[in-house]
Amino acid sequence: MLKYANPFRTSLLALTMAISLAGCSQKQESESTAEQSVTKSDSHSIDDGQASTQTNPFFSEYQTPFQIPPFDKIHNEHYMPAFEQGMTDHLAEIEAITSNPDAPTFENTLEALERSGKLLTKSLRVFFNLASSDTNPEIQKIQREISPVLAAHQDKINLNPDLFKRVEAIWKVRDTLELNEEQLKLLDDQYKDFVRNGALLDKTQKEKLTAINAELSTLATSFGQNLLAETNGFELILDKNQLNGLAEGTISAAANTAKQKMEKVESEEEKARYQDKYVFTPHRSSMYPFLTESTERDLRKQLYSAYINRGSNNNETDNNAIVAKIAKLRAQRAQILGYDSHADFQLEERMLKTPAEVYALLMKLWKPALARAKVEVADMQAMVKTEGHDFKLEAWDWWHYSEKVRKAKYDIDETSLKPYLTLDNVLQGAFQTSEKLWGLSFTELFDIDVYHPDVRVWEVKDKDGSHLGIFMGDFFTRSTKRGGAWMSNFKGQSNLDGRERPVVVNVLNISPPVGDAPALLTFENVITLFHEFGHGLHGLLTNTTYSSLSGISGPRDFTEFPAQIYEHWAKEPEVLKTFAKHYQTGEVIPDELIDKLLKASKFNQGFANTEYLAASLLDMDWHTIKADEDLKDTNRFEKASLERIGLIGEIAPRYRSTYFSHIFAGGYAAGYYGYIHSAVLDSDGFAAFKETGDIFNQELAQKYRTNVLEKGSTEEAMTLYKKFRGREPKIDALLKVRGLDNPSETTNQQVSR
Amino acid sequence: MPIILFQWSRWLLAVGLLLVACFTSAHPQDDVIISDIEMGPLQFQSTLAEAEYQAALKRQQQRKRNAMPWQQKFLLYTKAGVEHIIPKGLDHILFVLGLFFSTLALASLLWQVSAFTLAHSLTLVMAALGVVSVPANIIEPLIALSIVWVAIENCVFKQSTRWRPIVVFAFGLLHGLGFASVLSEYGLPKNDFLVSLLAFNIGVEIGQIAILLGAAILVWLIKNKSWYRFAIQIPASVFIATVGVYWFAERTVL
Repeated sequence: MLKYANPFRTSLLALTMAISLAGCSQKQESESTAEQSVTKSDSHSIDDGQASTQTNPFFSEYQTPFQIPPFDKIHNEHYMPAFEQGMTDHLAEIEAITSNPDAPTFENTLEALERSGKLLTKSLRVFFNLASSDTNPEIQKIQREISPVLAAHQDKINLNPDLFKRVEAIWKVRDTLELNEEQLKLLDDQYKDFVRNGALLDKTQKEKLTAINAELSTLATSFGQNLLAETNGFELILDKNQLNGLAEGTISAAANTAKQKMEKVESEEEKARYQDKYVFTPHRSSMYPFLTESTERDLRKQLYSAYINRGSNNNETDNNAIVAKIAKLRAQRAQILGYDSHADFQLEERMLKTPAEVYALLMKLWKPALARAKVEVADMQAMVKTEGHDFKLEAWDWWHYSEKVRKAKYDIDETSLKPYLTLDNVLQGAFQTSEKLWGLSFTELFDIDVYHPDVRVWEVKDKDGSHLGIFMGDFFTRSTKRGGAWMSNFKGQSNLDGRERPVVVNVLNISPPVGDAPALLTFENVITLFHEFGHGLHGLLTNTTYSSLSGISGPRDFTEFPAQIYEHWAKEPEVLKTFAKHYQTGEVIPDELIDKLLKASKFNQGFANTEYLAASLLDMDWHTIKADEDLKDTNRFEKASLERIGLIGEIAPRYRSTYFSHIFAGGYAAGYYGYIHSAVLDSDGFAAFKETGDIFNQELAQKYRTNVLEKGSTEEAMTLYKKFRGREPKIDALLKVRGLDNPSETTNQQVSR
Repeated sequence: MPIILFQWSRWLLAVGLLLVACFTSAHPQDDVIISDIEMGPLQFQSTLAEAEYQAALKRQQQRKRNAMPWQQKFLLYTKAGVEHIIPKGLDHILFVLGLFFSTLALASLLWQVSAFTLAHSLTLVMAALGVVSVPANIIEPLIALSIVWVAIENCVFKQSTRWRPIVVFAFGLLHGLGFASVLSEYGLPKNDFLVSLLAFNIGVEIGQIAILLGAAILVWLIKNKSWYRFAIQIPASVFIATVGVYWFAERTVL
């Protein structure tokens, strides 16, 4: 993976959060909204450049407190002119660098690059953030238009031979330049970027590479389109008498789906299909409740089979051939660039450097995870028997019976837990934890213009009272926000030209409060909030000279570490008790409830780890093939991969090849293991605090801050980790956290302990 | 969490999945890629987005108010109380004028106004604390009728009756519930609740007194003329009653 070798790249990276699949089917937008935005953009057409330059807030310095973007002044029609001008400026700046008659120096090349593309970065940051958190049809339209343009623009710079020559000239004499560590890293990253993009290849090889890249691009798009079609293509249409076991909410959601489907079809005949019916689909949000609750085994099987066969139905949207082609092309590309495999190529930039290291990690976890999963199967099989059935538990039974086991052993009443977890309490918990660790303080600001009234703003100050940055929180679900939770920047950090502090945002999807009651969180929400806040701290405490090396810019198998380690504090009873107070009575969360909560976190871990590890291993298998490997049958390849590790039939990999979008349509190739590697780090890292007997140990907190949180990617991630921990990471703590240290224990014993 | 892979910028960008959101706990690996590819782009419902926006706006306002020091809240709610009489509380203005045109005796007027104030303060506090709750579609027409009642009494009786303060007290209870419903729409902060409630009530009194003073100044020179009752007091009351009838119709039938 590439380091963000210039600010422009950083921005694209960190910002291009949400370009939806170019060319993916665009559904009907609500007419009135679409009309409105059309009118808006018409009245400010791009030709109108003169006038808009004066009013376009991107074209001048933000005149706002802390340089938070002036959201009240930014409108849809400002984006395109800013992008266009931004790209023009950027190319002119690059041109100025390459045509500089002076000999290349670190200052006139690397630092000049670092300073380039400011307008583009600035406008893209706002755009891509809002495209995810508060989008509208007009923004979606701009997204589709701009993404190929940005890609082409990026290539003009990444593949610029004159620019490479200058960087190369400096890189070759780097040892004589008396550069500091951070400068060396910047130079090295930039040089490697070029090389990994093929800068050192001869002309024919370069042409081959370009052709492969183009083909891969097309294939990835097709993969995504096919998967979308396959996921939307299946529906389980049920009658009222087929709803046995389903909860009220699940039923009404299914009735709703039927209603929506009915509205979309034209003919009476088609409408009749959905009349008074209930529809379930292979979307996870629809499928999981059904698999969990339905007592109709056959129907569970139907829906589950539809899910796991997506992209593998031997029709025009089949992904099998595409998968094989992508894997093969990637291997060929790696070979051209001088690597054994695509995985070798990818891992060069990660913490784990070789496929062997990744396999070793995954297999270390695999055995206990699988053993644990087998115990879970046995527990559920016993449950099946108690119910008087004699069938063998199958994959489509897992959710149904694991829920029964969960209810029997770990049941936590969400409604009795939630009153302890108001949003404000939990936020205070996250803030206070960072106060105890590093003395940070948070002051809410009420007079800042935000992009949506649910967004909240805090100024973050350091122990000595100095300004560190701005933290924005956008917590509630709404129809203009995508699902999930993430952290991003509205403004980066840099010390290159004066001290520039960041503006960081956390976006979550918590159910908004009802009436006058405060927003109440589930425990899962609490963990998510702490997780994103951990990313936020990585973005807020960062203190580097070069913006492209700051904050969360580290390798994929490292970046989750600061987020995941922060979750551990939320799970400490000592911390929970400081913030989890009943909003009506003020009572502190009872020990008994905490106990139950923490025990439940080990529930079903065999399954969760097994399906994840199987997918990670599958990912590695696909990307360690050689360029000349004879790949004919995707299904057979996958089967062999899963047999090799001995996956049991009751569990499928979390993603099968034909719908593994992370690796075939997204950027996770040979990288899906990254989550577990970050988990090794967070468990091992938090264990360091536990070992001192004080989870707020000041000395360790300071070490963690100066060596990890402040450093961005100015040094190798492993070096940073070792400086904090005093040694390389060990896996033991993770095994314990996940209940895999003693996998043969039955869940029963686990509870009674 | 955001993080992405980036070397083959061309195809990656074309596919455009650069930032990965992060789910936690059970399935950290679920992320934006999934929702984008498997779910397709977000669908818009402009009415829903608008409703969400309005709800968020209210929450935002609430947060701002909660964060104010109590002195500032006191001012804010006093001001709000005044504003809910002048200019927003036309029906309350007419009711108070109805009281004003009932008598020329200061003592009688003071009795009535005090009864009214006591009564509406009582129900306002009770409703704000959630002790009583009556739906607006019952209260609002009754408030209109109370206006009609006092105005007609003004025309029928030259001097206000002895039972008048009692009637006014009863009507005051209704008006208090009316204030409570506008106040709940405006919102009360969770901290400094009582201070704010008190301030709002004080604001209402200020508005009321301002109306009475204004009216008194306007009629000061003519109030002792012989034609005052027939040329001013009765026509004004007829006008007030007419408006009250119209409001009653509007709030029930129309």
